Amino acid sequence: MGLLTILKKMKQKEKEMRLLMLGLDNAGKTTILKKFNGEDINTISPTLGFNIKTLEHKGFKLNVWDVGGQKSLRSYWRNYFESTDGLIWVVDSADKRRLLDCREELRGLLKEERLAGATLLVFANKQDLPGALPAEEIRRNLGLDDIKTHHWMIIGCSAVTGENLLYGIDWLIDDIASRIFTMD
Amino acid sequence: MAGTNRSINPSDIAKDFKETLLEMDADELREYTRKGSIMDEFLEAQEVKELTESLPQIYNDQILVELALQRFTSIVDKYQEQPHLMDPYLEEMTLRLLNITRRSDIEPQLYHLAFKCLYLITKARGLKTVVRVLPHEVADLEPVLHLLYQQDASDTDTWETRYILFLWMSIICMIPFDMSRLDSNARTETGEVREPTMLRILNIGKRYLSVCDKSRDAAAWMVAKFLTRQDVKNEQLPDFIDWSLKTMMEVEYDTMRGITTLSGILMAMKWFASISNTQAQLFKHGKREDLEEYAPIILEKLIEYKLFDIKNTQIRKFTMKLTQRLGLTFLKAKVASWRYQRGSRSLAENLKSTGPTPAGVNVPTTAPVDEDDDYDVPEEVEDVIEQLLVGLKDKDTVVRWSAAKGIGRVTNRLPQELADQVVESVLELFSTVERDEAWHGGCLALAELGRRGLLLPERLPQVVPVVIRALLYDEKRGACSVGSHVRDAACYVCWSFARAYDPEVIKTHVNQIATALVIATVFDREVSCRKAASAAFQENVGRQGSFPHGIDIVTTADYFAVGSKAKTYLNISVYIAQFKEYTRPLIDHLATVKIAHWDMVIRELAAQALHKLTFKDPEYMKTVLNRIIPLCSGIDLNTRHGATCATGEVVHALSLYAEEQNSCIGDFLDDATIKALKEITVNMEAGEMFKGLTGEILRPAACDLIEKLSLSKLPCPEKHVIDHWQSLLDDNLIQLLRTDIDIHSKAVSAFSAFCHQYYRQADGQAIPEKQDDILNRYTTALKHSQELPRMGATKAIGNLPKFFISGKLDQIIDSLIGASLKTPASEKFAEARRDTFSAMTSVCKTAGLSNEDSTYECISKEQINSVFAALVEGMMDYTTDSRGDVGAWVREACMVAASEIVQLVLTQQPTYFDQEVYKRLMQILAQQAAEKIDRTRTCAGGIFLKLLYQKDPLVPHIPHRQELMKIFTKRDTQYLIWSASADCFPKIVQLLSLPTYRYNVLLGLTVSVGGLTESLVKHSGQSLMTYLRTHNTKDELQIIADIMLTIFKDYQKIDRVSLPMLKMCDLLLSSGSFDNLFEDKESSFPATLLDLLKIEIRKSGDAQKLLSSIDVFCALLQFEGDIRKRCLTQLFIFVCHKYPKVRKTAANKLYETLLVYDDIIPEEHIDAVQEILTETDWQDKIEVVRPIRNKLCELLGIPKPVMKTKSGTDSEKND
Repeated sequence: MGLLTILKKMKQKEKEMRLLMLGLDNAGKTTILKKFNGEDINTISPTLGFNIKTLEHKGFKLNVWDVGGQKSLRSYWRNYFESTDGLIWVVDSADKRRLLDCREELRGLLKEERLAGATLLVFANKQDLPGALPAEEIRRNLGLDDIKTHHWMIIGCSAVTGENLLYGIDWLIDDIASRIFTMD
Repeated sequence: MAGTNRSINPSDIAKDFKETLLEMDADELREYTRKGSIMDEFLEAQEVKELTESLPQIYNDQILVELALQRFTSIVDKYQEQPHLMDPYLEEMTLRLLNITRRSDIEPQLYHLAFKCLYLITKARGLKTVVRVLPHEVADLEPVLHLLYQQDASDTDTWETRYILFLWMSIICMIPFDMSRLDSNARTETGEVREPTMLRILNIGKRYLSVCDKSRDAAAWMVAKFLTRQDVKNEQLPDFIDWSLKTMMEVEYDTMRGITTLSGILMAMKWFASISNTQAQLFKHGKREDLEEYAPIILEKLIEYKLFDIKNTQIRKFTMKLTQRLGLTFLKAKVASWRYQRGSRSLAENLKSTGPTPAGVNVPTTAPVDEDDDYDVPEEVEDVIEQLLVGLKDKDTVVRWSAAKGIGRVTNRLPQELADQVVESVLELFSTVERDEAWHGGCLALAELGRRGLLLPERLPQVVPVVIRALLYDEKRGACSVGSHVRDAACYVCWSFARAYDPEVIKTHVNQIATALVIATVFDREVSCRKAASAAFQENVGRQGSFPHGIDIVTTADYFAVGSKAKTYLNISVYIAQFKEYTRPLIDHLATVKIAHWDMVIRELAAQALHKLTFKDPEYMKTVLNRIIPLCSGIDLNTRHGATCATGEVVHALSLYAEEQNSCIGDFLDDATIKALKEITVNMEAGEMFKGLTGEILRPAACDLIEKLSLSKLPCPEKHVIDHWQSLLDDNLIQLLRTDIDIHSKAVSAFSAFCHQYYRQADGQAIPEKQDDILNRYTTALKHSQELPRMGATKAIGNLPKFFISGKLDQIIDSLIGASLKTPASEKFAEARRDTFSAMTSVCKTAGLSNEDSTYECISKEQINSVFAALVEGMMDYTTDSRGDVGAWVREACMVAASEIVQLVLTQQPTYFDQEVYKRLMQILAQQAAEKIDRTRTCAGGIFLKLLYQKDPLVPHIPHRQELMKIFTKRDTQYLIWSASADCFPKIVQLLSLPTYRYNVLLGLTVSVGGLTESLVKHSGQSLMTYLRTHNTKDELQIIADIMLTIFKDYQKIDRVSLPMLKMCDLLLSSGSFDNLFEDKESSFPATLLDLLKIEIRKSGDAQKLLSSIDVFCALLQFEGDIRKRCLTQLFIFVCHKYPKVRKTAANKLYETLLVYDDIIPEEHIDAVQEILTETDWQDKIEVVRPIRNKLCELLGIPKPVMKTKSGTDSEKND
């Protein structure tokens, strides 16, 4: 009965989900998380490393890992004691120059063994900015339709106004829940 | 900025990965591979469907049934780790199976089979999940109940049926109709009033509570569920409790039956209690717990019947769970209002609120005691808590775990004051008088409390130190220790803290926790604990953010990196030590705890790690050194060993540091320390610590210390210390007669470093008297009557530095060559000889070759040639002992040595070797490459090809170089697998066409073809026959045949070769490989072979050889005339041989051969001869079989053999 077994059992019992929030730097990951957590979003600086926050939603306990976009992502979020259930990929819809980067980064990530089976939610963030590409455009640019290995959805949103955040999370939670938990 | 510095080369990762894997020990590897594969969905849904549908067709065919069940098992086993993937198909699968059982006209075998499959699904997915998808219609009730009553409780093959039926019943019985309504017209045909359905259900359940198979679990579940029905509860609960308590009292606890009954009842009660707990929670206030009125009496009885102390683990576990549930019924179903909570965390709430709200506000931790908390707590609760606390110390993990969860749940409902007492009591478990179980249970309880916010921040100053001690818990128990479970659980506590508290609260403890976790991450012996610590650290970094250098450490010490302890000790710890918060704690931990660890590997790693950490804080290390030195001669053997290793490593590191600072160790350390260093081994000797088992462990460490002190250039003018060290090394190298541990290698490298430092004059020459003395003593030891001193001396000489052997090469080379020769006294010392040859080579390499023959500082032409001659001799070493062909070690060592000597000569003095040397070497290598030991073949073949293809310098005078290069391509130098007989023999046989190699290759092949291993014999034999088929002209065959005879002659009566030779002759003769040769009736081959054969078996009592020779004699019967006659005579002698087995085999073989060559017997006697051969019991007494044999001789016209009168024994001879 080591830590690994305990955590595994607890996850089922307590209805925990592990969500990873990833994306290029300056996409707005931490802003979204702070919004979720009801914190002040006016003072946000680049995330170095990662934050873990626990939130409750729809009777589930969400452990959200917000991983900094600056450095190599790889080792921060690898946690072999908990598997990742959902991936929130945040895109800066106004940053057209880096959409190609964004696409490659996401591609590489989805090949990760530890993410096998995880549900993917793409937040086309910063819709409130003038010149932001609509979600449909982002979907095409990221080549989302080629993804067959994961359940996915894209939605335009704004971390500042809070638009569509709840809708996206609801979809994500429902998709994960139907996969890993038995409904009572 | 994005893509560039983030890109990681996949091949680098793969390489890292591979290296990590290579560094892992067995435990670590197992842990790693356990991860298994992760799947995305349940792929076999269709197959399961088909399997299910096939059941009605196959249920009568036992084989098909078994296959189907096997397939079913393997499918569900695949999803053991992620059973939830089956969920989308679960209902469909179970329903399909159940429908089979619902048919009315069904045969028992079929429904048993269907229930078996259902059980397999339940096993994988879990009872509680499966039960939800089972159908529950009123119509099912009667048939299922009926079926249950029909079952035979003692049939061990069909318990799955009962199990599933109860499971099914457990959901059917919950139908929302009053039970009595089902009985309205329930009259049996005979007119009797049937028992009410409610009782029937309950009774069958109760009956099965005492069976010993798994259907008991399902029955208990069913009873528990059933009792929660309002109508059943009202009518039956009191009776059931009565019955249960009465049965509990009546059963005997020391019988199997008693125990199973007991656990059945406890299981039912526990489930009932837990369901009613949950229900009560759902309805919150106002709902009385069903058990409330019975709980006190049940608890009283549990204690009275001493169920907490019963030997059976399961009983204790159930008792613990039941107690916990009873405890909850005494308390209001509400969460403690005083518990600690982090701020509001509902996502939806947060999103709703407009504008920023202040970050995670703490609910005041010491909330004013509200009126709810003021209620009276029944005194039974104290009993419950006491039992749970005792349960934390239980000897079984499952019981402790149940108790810990119980503590958490019960405390959750307690008023603050009482709860605090519980925490107090849990903390009392962490005392030195308690055993490891208590510590483990204590940790689990702390984590449970922490997770629920029941450990208030005020308690942390007491809790944190306790947890940190638990993180290091390692209790010695005999030769090893216990405690990894405690440390793992302590990691769980740290992990739960990360989740439970706000960064502000934990802030004051961060450094303590971070340091302890880092130490566990890099220095724990168990891979599971290192990983758990690393995970807990990561969780803390992510949630608390305030762990010093958290990100850097998490990145470096991740899950995979901590997989290998060599890596964590020697690389990761060094990395972390650069952060000054961790430097000294890491050093202190190693220097106080790990150098005294019970595992020698850990002590050695700790010492090496200290070496590396020295550079992070050299000044501090000086004080550490002064702490370690006294431990070297302390009481505890492990500490003594670890401290000695560590002292050497630290001093060495300090000397390197001093040199960097342009200083030296003599100036860097104070005089007292230097004096103490020199006295370590002196004190050990004086304390008689090198004797016996203690010595075995301490000797290598002492040698290590001498080496490190020498390398550190520790000034040592004291003659007595030098002499003491010398005698210590002598003792380990040339006095030691027996040891299990490799002390030599440590002593040898110490010896070399020691000579270098202390026996060298200012002019670079050796101190003459020391040199004379040591060389004399060590060369004398080469002739020691025991093997171990010889080996020690040999290795030591081989490793001496150049200045020390200079001028003494004659003496050294001569004695080494002398030691390499087999003498009657040293015949079996194969390992010593192996070392001798390696030593010879090292000496030659160290000294180098001379320009002129005269210099005596280098190796002369004459010397190198005699060394080579000795190596050639060594390549023929076929010594065997109880371990088998130990000579192979010698041969391999010689081949390696010879190849190195050749390189040496070619690079330094190419003229020293003449052409004959190369020819001889290649011949022997070819022979060894054709022999039977895979490892030896690999060694020989590898060197053979290396020499053949070597360019710089080119190896001259290789006979048939061009032809060889055709047989072996350049690619073969890398890809030919010499250990695979199927690959190498087809190549090596081709050397038979090259005159220079023929003899040797055939000699090598002989032992392979006539060997014992099946694949070896098969492939070498086939290769040889293929060769003979493709080279089958008379002349070519003649050449091979001649060489065969020469080999036979050369190795006459040498069983190693002659015995396989017999087998090879038989193979080649009976396969007709030589047929072309025998077309010429004049060939002398058969006759010569026969002569040699007869010499070979003369006076031989070796049954193996005699039996093999029978085959050859029979094979020779194909040659008419004199040869046939002589063979027959010999075979008839065998037919009356003193060994019954020989008699029988000879007769059988003869019979078989006569069938093949039908011209041997005169036609009129064929039947008679065959009948005699087959009908006689040749294992009968010789007196009985001899007349029969003589009859045969007459029939065949062979003079009957007569007893040789002189020897007077059983051996016979024909005239």
